[in-house]
Amino acid sequence: MSDANLLILLSTLSTGLILGAIFSLVAAGVTIVYGCVWLPNTSNGQFFLLAALVAWSFTSSMGWSSLAASIAVLLLGLLLAMLLELVLIRRLYDTPNRNIAYFVVTLGLTQIMSGIFSLTYAKWSDQFSLPPIIEGLTMLGPFPISNNRLLVMAVSLGVLALLFTLLRYHPYGRALRAVFQNREAAALRGVNVTAIYKLSFVLGSSIIFLGGILFALAYSFDLTVAWTMSITAFAIMIIGGPGSVLGALVVGMIFGFTQAIVSIFASPTAATFSYLGAMLVMLLFRPNGLFKR
Amino acid sequence: MKLLEVNGLSKNFGGVAALSNVTAHSLAGETLGMIGPNGSGKTTFVNIVSGHVRGDSGTVTFGGTNIARMTPHQLAAVGLCRTYQAVRVFSALSTQRNIDSARLLLDGRGLDTAELRELVEWLRLDRSLNKEAGSLTLFEQRRLELLMRLVLKPRLIMLDEPVGGLAVTEVNEMIKLLLELKSRCSMFVIEHTMRVIRELADRVIVLIAGEKVVDGPPCEILKNQRVIDEYLGTTHA
Amino acid sequence: MNTHTKFGIAAATLLALALPFLVEGNRFFAFVLGMTFISLLWATGMNLMYGFVGLMPLMFAGIAGIASYAMVYFTRTAGWSFWLAMPVASLIAALAGVALGLPSLRLKGFYFTLCSLVIQSVLTLAFIFFPKFTNGDTGINQIVPPDWFGGTRLKGFGFDFAIAVAAVAGVLFCAWLTRTRLGQRFVAIREDDVLAESIGITVVRTKIIAFFIVSLYAGIGGCFYSAYVGFISPRAFDVLVSLNVWLFVAFGGRGTIIGPIIGTAILAPIPFLLQDLQAFKEILSGTLIIVITLMMPGGIYGAYLKARSQRVSQSPEGLREEVQRV
Repeated sequence: MSDANLLILLSTLSTGLILGAIFSLVAAGVTIVYGCVWLPNTSNGQFFLLAALVAWSFTSSMGWSSLAASIAVLLLGLLLAMLLELVLIRRLYDTPNRNIAYFVVTLGLTQIMSGIFSLTYAKWSDQFSLPPIIEGLTMLGPFPISNNRLLVMAVSLGVLALLFTLLRYHPYGRALRAVFQNREAAALRGVNVTAIYKLSFVLGSSIIFLGGILFALAYSFDLTVAWTMSITAFAIMIIGGPGSVLGALVVGMIFGFTQAIVSIFASPTAATFSYLGAMLVMLLFRPNGLFKR
Repeated sequence: MKLLEVNGLSKNFGGVAALSNVTAHSLAGETLGMIGPNGSGKTTFVNIVSGHVRGDSGTVTFGGTNIARMTPHQLAAVGLCRTYQAVRVFSALSTQRNIDSARLLLDGRGLDTAELRELVEWLRLDRSLNKEAGSLTLFEQRRLELLMRLVLKPRLIMLDEPVGGLAVTEVNEMIKLLLELKSRCSMFVIEHTMRVIRELADRVIVLIAGEKVVDGPPCEILKNQRVIDEYLGTTHA
Repeated sequence: MNTHTKFGIAAATLLALALPFLVEGNRFFAFVLGMTFISLLWATGMNLMYGFVGLMPLMFAGIAGIASYAMVYFTRTAGWSFWLAMPVASLIAALAGVALGLPSLRLKGFYFTLCSLVIQSVLTLAFIFFPKFTNGDTGINQIVPPDWFGGTRLKGFGFDFAIAVAAVAGVLFCAWLTRTRLGQRFVAIREDDVLAESIGITVVRTKIIAFFIVSLYAGIGGCFYSAYVGFISPRAFDVLVSLNVWLFVAFGGRGTIIGPIIGTAILAPIPFLLQDLQAFKEILSGTLIIVITLMMPGGIYGAYLKARSQRVSQSPEGLREEVQRV
């Protein structure tokens, strides 16, 4: 294979892997919250963007290192998630059919955040990016990849692995999965369902914030990533199966590679179009997705 | 004359056989009962016959017509209806509007004002017409459920645990009501209190773990050894 | 219907038709009024689906867009009169609404709404990426007002009045429809569609009829919108517009005739009065959506009715009477 083709292949592979990992992370965050609390978070893209933008603010106007900014944003994100849960989310825990109420509430949240971003960040810049945490390049054959991007890849895959282990082996994780499957049965077995709701909302949201930071470290971005990420995350969740982290992983990776490949030939909007189409097909023929909870 | 005929009905849910090769029939004018322990497939049976769920195999005919592929509203139109184990009414609407909803099917061919009035009084709902159905007592809601079915002028009503949740005196009253209903309509009653079945049913089908174990008049059923071993021993009749 | 209600309806109709006269001198207020009436037509249609059938159709704006682009095509390219193009385009949109709604008939609640959101997104992308028909994101401008007698165009006060008539007709039709047997079927489906089916209501057929009628409202409103504003683009028919129309209904009071009137009257003028503060409008809208969903799901009129029924039944048993809702 010629060097040029090898370059393209490796470039596509690495982009696919990074995007796939980030997509999977965000989709996992969304699916955990939907599966557990029955909360479809349409504002996940805005959360994603928020983390990235605030990190940018820390690095550009306050001159912090990307590492410090990332940690700060994660901590603030945690607090924000807890605040949201306290003020908004917990009001609907006992409502039947709350998934549609949450859907609408998060649509409102999306509008609020979008409006705030228009008033602030939209006025300050068109494009945003974060300085790398690690400098330098590594060569994979003829293909140069920034160490920073390798770091992003490592962190996202690492967190995904951690998430998996948590859900499988840790008591909190198992309680979460018990509530996923059947909340009444879990409650009867002594699981504090409300506490699990809180935990999963904060956990899921934090993962989304992390996804935003990682994306900002790997690529430059603008405000439109919010709605493309929302559509992508929802499509992954629906196709992978609402509540299934495995589904989020597998489908997320597929979407990541799809995006990388499509970007060679066409605009990213074509990829978004296809995600919408795939989501529609799933909703109509197999609303429970490919993987079980 | 056979009204409802079920042959070799089977249904699997994710590897578990909810119904295995069940064959049964009911005659016009009779009250057929169905009993069995929890999880024996009684509600699955009703769900399939009443068009809510599709059976995996077997045939279902009603008055000679094959109804296996019919939807609930088509079945209501040919005279087969059912009530639900957990009572179901339009809670936010008034009793009157609940009744009006049930009259939509037959429109002009339904009951006239006098007949309806008589039914409402017989079921003692005449004082509750303007109240929200959700605010009625459980017994009143069950009577409303019955009323809504009778308005459809059905040939067969399938009742899924009609006395579920009722107090002892209410159970007695309900049995009295259903006994009076026998003359108006063929019935299919699922219950797991033997007492109700004994008083109401002309014939009983016993379902255990998805299989029909025996079918015959109540007195015979009560003497069947397998029924005693696997079912009556565990239930308070 | 008692004479009290009949009188109220007549009075409201006269008032609505009088409004264009009142603002005749001021083009700005007249425009705001015109847009409010168009929004009322849309809100009435949305209410039929959301308030009476119980489904939230977020593809509403997309359907309006289909009718609008079709109307513009018929009047511009085919040279038709607006009064022929509008019904035909609306019919096309209604058929499209049924076709798009058909696959999602089995879905309920959240899945239906999500599906309609996806369909809306697909429609918006289609409007943007098929510029041969829609001129893409640039939009189509210089849409002329409807043709009128003597070779003139229906402009200014005449058009304002025509729109008022259309809106009033739409509301009256809806008020009548919800009292028919079809309307009763809608409500039964909203309350419990499984129960409705088992007492003989043809749920699928009724939903299809609902899709058709609601899409007609979307389409007719869209045609009037296009001719009134004179400019359309994919943004005029995107998901935010659907959400906005939904908010008029939810805020005012779903499932009632008065509710959308209140919601539209209060909310529709706001973007025009807040002209440069587009972002604030988004924040306000989002906040209202959250507040309504969490605290006042019945909207303003719903809260009023609830308060009234609780005052009516102060009896010790606390039995609630169903208050007659207009």
